[in-house]
Amino acid sequence: MLRQSLYPVMLSLLALLAVGNAVAQNTAPSLPPEMTASAPPANAGPAASDEFKSLDEEVQGLKKEVLDLNRELFVLEEELLFPANTQVAVFVSMDVGEFFALDSVTLKFDDKEVANYLYTEREAQALLKGGVHRVFIGNLKAGEHELVALFTGQGPNTRDYRRGATIKVEKGVGAKYIELKISDKAVKSQPEFIVKEWE
Amino acid sequence: MVLVLAPALGVPASTLVGQPAPDFALRSVQGDNVRLSEHSGDVVLINFWATWCGPCRQEMPLLDEIYGKYRRAGLVLFSVNIDEPGNFDAAREMAKTLRVSYPVLFDERKDVSRAYQASTMPLTVLIDRAGVVRYVSEGYKVGYETRYTDKLRELLNE
Repeated sequence: MLRQSLYPVMLSLLALLAVGNAVAQNTAPSLPPEMTASAPPANAGPAASDEFKSLDEEVQGLKKEVLDLNRELFVLEEELLFPANTQVAVFVSMDVGEFFALDSVTLKFDDKEVANYLYTEREAQALLKGGVHRVFIGNLKAGEHELVALFTGQGPNTRDYRRGATIKVEKGVGAKYIELKISDKAVKSQPEFIVKEWE
Repeated sequence: MVLVLAPALGVPASTLVGQPAPDFALRSVQGDNVRLSEHSGDVVLINFWATWCGPCRQEMPLLDEIYGKYRRAGLVLFSVNIDEPGNFDAAREMAKTLRVSYPVLFDERKDVSRAYQASTMPLTVLIDRAGVVRYVSEGYKVGYETRYTDKLRELLNE
């Protein structure tokens, strides 16, 4: 929308450029190219030469303005118009699951709860079969953020298990994907919670 | 007797009739989690109740009778308790005393009671096999269970 509203301005600038070029060309239509490029016409006085020079500078200035404007528009588009670029998605996956039966996942970004998901038996089974669940999708500003993931479920010997994982997320311009992977640590007979970032 | 929880909400639960039933996942008394959308294809009766609600105490054994009779025909009944989390033990005890055999769920965050606009206790909601709310009953008076049965039979026959 912003870009659309600035289109008339850009078109006017381009029209001015075109007019400027046309004027420059019409000034010396029959002269050889080497003369039109650098030298004023033989019969033109110093005043005409100055006028020609100032017109050329004006055109160059306009060209620069158009380029600056276009660059600013692009930055604005990146920051405001395409929320996908501020997008953050968090996925939950499970591997083996011998030492952990997943019950729920709670996510907090910068101390604000953004998701709380209870897994049914069927959903937990689907994760064990290789399914990946997108537990959260939202937008975050560029910069550093803290993600806290709290997992509840049953750990070894069917004991209630609650475990938190905290990571610092550096959000750049592009979309960010974070995978919370629950796997088994056979050596310790304990579940392991791995946080992996995808770009 | 009708107990009003939050009259300020102002929106009657009956406005849900004809709308897709809001999905939810809640923890049950047994400890497992239950998700409504996993019961698509069944006729579902949801009953919201609280320990402080007298009519609920009266209604629950009657609902259990209905559940015993129609569960084999495809009826699923969820009883959603809306007490504060600190009162869940009392709710568990009440369900045990009343010997209800259907799943009792806890609405810990009150998200579900908000989604179903449960401002009156008890609240009974009937959902058809397509997941659409077909009948809502607020409060309880003697004889309401006959209405539930009539509506249920209609939905089970669809």
